[in-house]
This record gives sequence, C-alpha cells and structure tokens, in this order.
Amino acid sequence: MNSIIPQLIVNSIIAGSIYSLVALGFNLIFGTTKFFNINHGVVSTIAGYTVFSLAKNHGMDIWLAIIIAVIFTGFVGYLSEKFVFLKMREKRASGMVMLVASLGLFTALQAIIAIIFTSQFQTISTNFGESKVYNIFGGIITETQLIILAAAILITAVLGLSMKYTKFGKAVKAISDDVEVAKIVGINANKIIAKVFFIGSMIAGVAGIAIGFDTGIEPTMGMNLLLKGVIASIIGGVGNVYGGVLGAFFLGFVENFGIWKISGEWKDAIAFGVLILFLIFKPGGIMGKKG
Amino acid sequence: MSTLKLHNFNKHFYGVKAVNGLSLEFESGKITGLVGPNGSGKSTLINLITGVIPKDSGTIFIADGFKTDKIRAQDMYDYKITRTFQNVRVFEQMSVLDNLMVVLTHRNALGALFERKKNLYEDRTIAILEKLDISEKKHELAVNLSYGQRKLLEIGRAIAMDSDIILFDEPYAGLFKEMIKKVSEIIKELREAGKTVILVEHNMEIIRDLCDTVVVLDAGELLAHGKPETVLKQRDVVDAYLGE
Repeated sequence: MNSIIPQLIVNSIIAGSIYSLVALGFNLIFGTTKFFNINHGVVSTIAGYTVFSLAKNHGMDIWLAIIIAVIFTGFVGYLSEKFVFLKMREKRASGMVMLVASLGLFTALQAIIAIIFTSQFQTISTNFGESKVYNIFGGIITETQLIILAAAILITAVLGLSMKYTKFGKAVKAISDDVEVAKIVGINANKIIAKVFFIGSMIAGVAGIAIGFDTGIEPTMGMNLLLKGVIASIIGGVGNVYGGVLGAFFLGFVENFGIWKISGEWKDAIAFGVLILFLIFKPGGIMGKKG
Repeated sequence: MSTLKLHNFNKHFYGVKAVNGLSLEFESGKITGLVGPNGSGKSTLINLITGVIPKDSGTIFIADGFKTDKIRAQDMYDYKITRTFQNVRVFEQMSVLDNLMVVLTHRNALGALFERKKNLYEDRTIAILEKLDISEKKHELAVNLSYGQRKLLEIGRAIAMDSDIILFDEPYAGLFKEMIKKVSEIIKELREAGKTVILVEHNMEIIRDLCDTVVVLDAGELLAHGKPETVLKQRDVVDAYLGE
C-alpha cells in the first residue's frame, strides 16, 4: 500500500468528523425552520474563543472551559432565535429576509470577536491532548483527533436516537414537515424551535472547539466551517440528520484524496466542485427526502 | 347547547371581502354543514376559526363562557378545537403510527424527553388506525400512502386529538365509496360522543344524510341557516349555489 494512503484516510476521517458536527447542527436547524442560518458559523467561532479565553487566558481547567463554552454557545443560538428569528417569523418574514438577518448577525458577532481578541490566528492550548500520538496502519492520529472523532460519533448517535425515540424528536419532525399543522395539533412549535437552536448551536460549538484544538482559531473561521457544513448537508440531503454526517465524511474523503497529487490549495475548489456536481445531478443529496 | 360561537368575523383580501360580518353558533352533539359556492368563504372561515390565517376582526366564544379575540393556530389544542384540511396535510416524512403518536403523547418536560405510557398510546393509535382500515400501513411513511389513505390518516389524527370541536374541510374529496361510508360512520360517532362537528362539503346527498343543521354562505355572508330539508329548498339558496 502506498504509505501516504493511511494518513489520507486518517485526515479524511478527522475532517469528516468536524464537518459532520457543523452539518448536524445546521441540518437540525434548517430541517426544523427551513431557513438558511448563516449565523450558525459564528456560533462555532464563539465556542473556540470562549475556550481560548477561559482556559488559556484565565487558566481554567480545560474540560470545565469546554463545558462552559458549549453551553454558552447553546445560549447564543437560543437568544438569536428568541430575540431575532422568532420575531421575524412572527411578522411572516420571507426566507430571504431571514437569511440577510442571519448574515447581519454573523457579521456583527464576528466583528465583536475580532475587536475583543484581535484578528490574529491563535492556538487554544499547547499541552491538551497532544502528548500522545497513535499509529494506525501507518497513519498518525493525535489524542486530540481521537477525542474529536469520538465526540462526533457520540453526538451523532445521541442526536439520531433522540430524534427517533423521543417525543421531542417526533415534534421536531412534525414541525419540519408542516409547522402550521404541528401548532394546531398542540405541538409548541416556538418552544421546540428554541430548543433546536440551543442544541444545534451547542453541536456547532463542539465543532469550533475541535477546530481550535486541531489547528487553531481566528475570527473569520466560522464562514469556512459553515460552508463545509452546508456542502456536507447538501451532498447528504438537506434537513436529514444522518445525511449531513454521510455528506461530511464523503466531503472529507473527496477533499483529502483530491489533493493527494496536487497542492492543498485545491481543497476548497474540489469541495465546491463536488457541490456543483451534486446540485446539477442529485440536488436532493444522497439521502434526500422520500416521496 | 352552543359550544362554539363566532361574533362579527371579518376578513378581506386586497379589498375583496372573503368573510363579511359573520356571526354563527354551532351546537355540541350536532353536525353542522357549511355549504356555498366556490369562493363563498367556507374554507376561509375555517382558516379564521383555527388561526391558520389572521382575521381582521372577530370574537370566538367557546363552552363555559370562554371568550377571546386572540385566535392563533397554537391555541387550538388548548381551546379543544381541531380540523382537517381541504388539501390533505399529514406529516409526510413520519410513519403512519407516529403521525398519531405525536399528538397523543405527553407534553410536559419529562414526557417530552421520553415517551411515557408508550404502550397505552400505541394501543389507542392502532385502534384508530384499525377503525380507518389503514393499520397494516402503520410503519410506512405517510408520503407513501395513497391520497385517500392520507385523507383517512388526517381524519384519524383529528379523532386522536379528542377535541370537543372538529372542523372537517371537504373530508370526502377524492375518496372511494367504501372510504366515504367509513368517514360518515366516524362523523356520526363523533356526534354520538357529543362533539361539535362542522363539515364543509359540496355533496348535498351527504349533507342531507349527515347534517342536523346547514349554514349556507355566499360571498362571505350568511345566506341561510337551518335544517337541511328546509334550507336546501329555499329559492335564494338554489339560485346562489345548488342548481342540482
């Protein structure tokens, strides 16, 4: 076997894990509200910077900082729904108006992060999860990356099972299908959507923290992360929880194997090329809605 | 006894009066037919009562003296009102079973997390599906059902809600003869159970057979109100609509 292939596989899996976390949150929110929440990207950034601030600047225990950051980003998402998007939905704003509003919120929050922390690239920690390195069939994987992979698997499983077996999951599906009918049959759609924003934003927060530990953080990282999550969602099937995960790993593999023989700068071109191919030939994605 | 009273309901679309100063009463244990030519305001009225479209003005009175001007879709569950739609609306990406389970299960915080009393609800759901003859489809996605089966599923959801006031918007449209018979049986059972049933329907045979009272609308206004055998013979009603 070519010696580079195991490493490419490892890199693909790690990229897929991070993209899947963004796609999970994005799909959960999009599937429920049917609006393209650009603000989802900056929520990841906020999580990364919260850990950076608490752990690196204030010396807090890293795991405690991660937990606080994830919950905090959940609240950021929740508040954005409660005080911006819900108000607009109540005024029957169109999807385009909602999109522009979420872009505005994204830009404002990104600017605030840059003002507080500067625009410089930062690393979260130099001694967390980097002490151990494993060799799997010739591919090198760090302890941090293993934690990211485990987090992605765990979050996907918990979310998937919750959607299938809990009343909450069924209510989310009902709202996703027909919010008006869901309201008439007694489902408190606004409350459920607020919870969806909280959960989806927490998952995006995990993705931001994962990126922070894997490479580093910068105020503009949210847009790139969001775009990869969105591409994964479209490839897998927008609004489908498992579809987004499948699309994320597919994207991770295509990106990393795509640059096997060429420069890494081609990564984004390959990702968007695949997106365009899917939009032309399979716009519903791999696991698009049935019927 | 009147369980649903509407006072001065108004709705206009771009200057056209779809519902014009309507005040009506609907009694419990009775089936009221809501008829009129296309565009007379029947579906608009149902959409106003259930908060699907916002009204310009109007007050709703529900049993026990409850009165409100605030009519929103999300309040229907508390007001014990439910409905079906002219163009069938079920949760298409959910299984037939889940379409009913989602309206039956607990709504409190703990119940929202895990489906307590799942077996009890599942038994009730299956009993309703068996009554509608679609229990063998319980694990299929609703989107894969035929139009008629989806119509029955939507009616099943209305039964599962156990509301006091049920509004059926053309429940027979697109149904086969056997299905029509089944739906009529269900609507009669609801009357026996003391529910207030409002039925929008074009088929006068069904109206005569089922309804205790008929309300005839024309251009968003009340044209006639009374027993079917009397109202459907009125000259102005025949002129405005029937011509059968």
